[in-house]
Amino acid sequence: MIERMLNTRLAGWIDERTNAVSFIRYHLIDYPTPKSLNYWWAFGSIALVILIIQIVTGLFLAMNYKASTVATGGGFTVAFDSVERIMRDVNYGWLIRYMHAVGASSFFFVIYLHMARGIYYGSYKGPREVLWLIGVALFLIMQSTVFFGYLLPWGQLSYWGATVITNIFGATPVIGPWLTELVRGGFSVGDPTLTRFFALHFLFPLVLFAIVILHVLALHKTHSNNPTGVEQKSKKSVIPFHPYYTVKDLFGIGVFLIIFAYFVFYNPTGFGYFMETDNFSPANPLHTPGDISPVWYLTPWYEILRMIPSKTGGILALNLAFILLFLLPWLDRSPVRAATYRPVFRQMVWLFFVAILVMGYCGHHPVTPVYNLIGRIAGGVYFGFFLLLPFVHKFENPKPLPEEEGA
Amino acid sequence: MDDKDKGRRDFLYTVATGMGVAGAATAAVPFVRSMQPAADTMAASTTEFDLASLSPGELKVIEWRGQPVFVLHRTPEMIKEIRGHNQMLKDPQSRAIPEVQAVWMKSEAQRIDRSIRPEYLVISAVCTHLGCVPTFKPTPGQKDWGNSVPSDWPGGWHCECHGSYYDLSGRVIKGSPAPYNLHAIPYKYLHDATVLIG
Amino acid sequence: MRQTVMTVTRPIVFVAILVCAVLSTKIASAVEATSSLKQAHINLDKKTINKGLQVFTDVCMGCHSARYLTYHDLMDYPMFGLTRKEAQDLSGGQPLTAAMMSSLPPEAAKQSFGVAPPDLSIIAKAREGKGDYIYSLLTGYGHDPKGNIPDGNYNEYFPGHRIAMPDPLGWLNRDASDTDSLKEQARDVASFLVYISDPHQIERHAIGKWVMIFLVVLTLVFYLLKRAVWKDVKH
Repeated sequence: MIERMLNTRLAGWIDERTNAVSFIRYHLIDYPTPKSLNYWWAFGSIALVILIIQIVTGLFLAMNYKASTVATGGGFTVAFDSVERIMRDVNYGWLIRYMHAVGASSFFFVIYLHMARGIYYGSYKGPREVLWLIGVALFLIMQSTVFFGYLLPWGQLSYWGATVITNIFGATPVIGPWLTELVRGGFSVGDPTLTRFFALHFLFPLVLFAIVILHVLALHKTHSNNPTGVEQKSKKSVIPFHPYYTVKDLFGIGVFLIIFAYFVFYNPTGFGYFMETDNFSPANPLHTPGDISPVWYLTPWYEILRMIPSKTGGILALNLAFILLFLLPWLDRSPVRAATYRPVFRQMVWLFFVAILVMGYCGHHPVTPVYNLIGRIAGGVYFGFFLLLPFVHKFENPKPLPEEEGA
Repeated sequence: MDDKDKGRRDFLYTVATGMGVAGAATAAVPFVRSMQPAADTMAASTTEFDLASLSPGELKVIEWRGQPVFVLHRTPEMIKEIRGHNQMLKDPQSRAIPEVQAVWMKSEAQRIDRSIRPEYLVISAVCTHLGCVPTFKPTPGQKDWGNSVPSDWPGGWHCECHGSYYDLSGRVIKGSPAPYNLHAIPYKYLHDATVLIG
Repeated sequence: MRQTVMTVTRPIVFVAILVCAVLSTKIASAVEATSSLKQAHINLDKKTINKGLQVFTDVCMGCHSARYLTYHDLMDYPMFGLTRKEAQDLSGGQPLTAAMMSSLPPEAAKQSFGVAPPDLSIIAKAREGKGDYIYSLLTGYGHDPKGNIPDGNYNEYFPGHRIAMPDPLGWLNRDASDTDSLKEQARDVASFLVYISDPHQIERHAIGKWVMIFLVVLTLVFYLLKRAVWKDVKH
């Protein structure tokens, strides 16, 4: 049916003037994909679906949300009130809001799995370095987007989370305090901060969408990796993206939607992890809630910030954590891609993933000597992974690689 | 792939596409509905009015959904006045457009009185020409109003903006630039002395 | 097939351990906070919620407001279903679009109790333990075993045990014969508060059932389609 549509005279007329049909034909239909991709390759398309859900639900929320900290009595504000209005008075507002909150956590969950696939199977290695760099950049833009968005409900955690993180800018040498004031638009997080964060939260997902297109173009230039890590170049080892991977991705998306719908309709607060209990109390600038920790998906990075005893040291460590992620293609010197065939790297990668989870767990809890110690050990593993990598290929004995699929 | 497999595959394509389109259309409904007036807008969309606050012959202009509405307590003379000048009117039976009719206009008398009960008129105060609020000139003839009204003036409203005339049921008089009778609005009696508009 | 099982099971085991670890922390932290909560047996049916509304207007509204609940909502929400007259009687002359606000000025409350009584519109969402916590709190007034906090301010379930709200249902000094009726009041008002914190939750569950059924069938169709399309590919 799609073929019939693309072969019409109208399609031809458009294609003569834009290359649209040839573009669609190559990138969505003919794109040669290895036969052997497993379901870890489904997360990219699932992430795209979630991005679209977030943009659509976000737009409809923005039709009713008001970014203003003007007080409406009892500690409540116009912003907080507008969110409750969406939940109660706007037709199906509750559904749109819950989809957006569950969507945000889902987005990070899926992207973490997507990145894990990239690290495990060596998809970051040449010639896919730029693909990887664009991906890490997308991850950072996602983090900024969610940081701006979390302030909008103007709850206790919204306010104090923003206060703590914008304070961190203050530790930047020389320009610190100037930078903090610039970001906040005032001397503390307040109305100017809220309005600009709303503007930025609206903009960033659209920027994200544009860069995702670059991400896919970079992928299509080098072609996809596969679970063996061995380049699949022969015609017998690749199949066209449509119908094979369109239907496979649809199945993956279906499974995702079932889990997504369960949370939206039956557990929207996600056991207190998607929508945190304290954030249902309006922001009180005079009283900090018991434990402030970021939402679960930012906790590993928050723990890196906290584990260094000095404020500046923490910022430097966090920056280094992301820079090392960018440098991954050049730190790892082994010509073998997939961890399946690299006994030493494989153990390191699993330890690396566990370390991130442990740092997340610690980051969620208040600072106690025990959590601090465990967090630092995990941090050591995280940084150790990158620092050890350049040397691994020297003493690792990779397993024999399989022949090209279908050859 | 043999024909049987192809048949099965094509069938599954059709089912998947059909269900997908149905699902997408259903998913669109809440988003469209969210753009319609919200519950708080709907709650504020009705106005209650205490008719006992009007003395006979008195007119009040009140607000409903942000628009002006005439509430008039008609005397028996006024009620007599609105019968017998059909030839002056453009649309004596309020049939021209849906907006000049109302769901409560069930009997002939109600179509002439343009109200549920003749004693109280509840009608839109927006002139159907270009939207001004007409001036109340209830007494017939030119004695009280001079040349501003025609000599056969039955009593009613005169829109000073562009010279449209309406009778005491809000029906537009021939020669007015306004095309239609004053629009009817939904209302009901909560009890004898109170109406709920909207 | 074995290859698939191998590549799939390990991550699944991994995620399962993770989920268990996370859930155990949730349980652990619930236990850490004061005593573990009583079971409220929240009931979201019209009768209980309306009884809870009665308790709310008779007792709680003396000090607490529900700024996001209007008198008009009492007509609109199916679990209340009040008539216009009933809602008008409750509103005491205010327009129906007015919120259910307490007549106690917050400043005066702060003077008397030391802290302004919080708004109760979303209190059930804003406290760990939700309905169970509210029920436990209302039936949690007791004598301080350490003897520090005076009667009327000691509450077994309030974090820190020192609560500013005086025993609203008269739990502490109840007769043995009152216990059941007070428990019922506590349960009714807890149910009411759970309902008003998320008035669309009943509709949400109802729609959710159909959405889940549809998605499961759709995903099954997608799975069969995938198998059919991939039938001839060696992979």
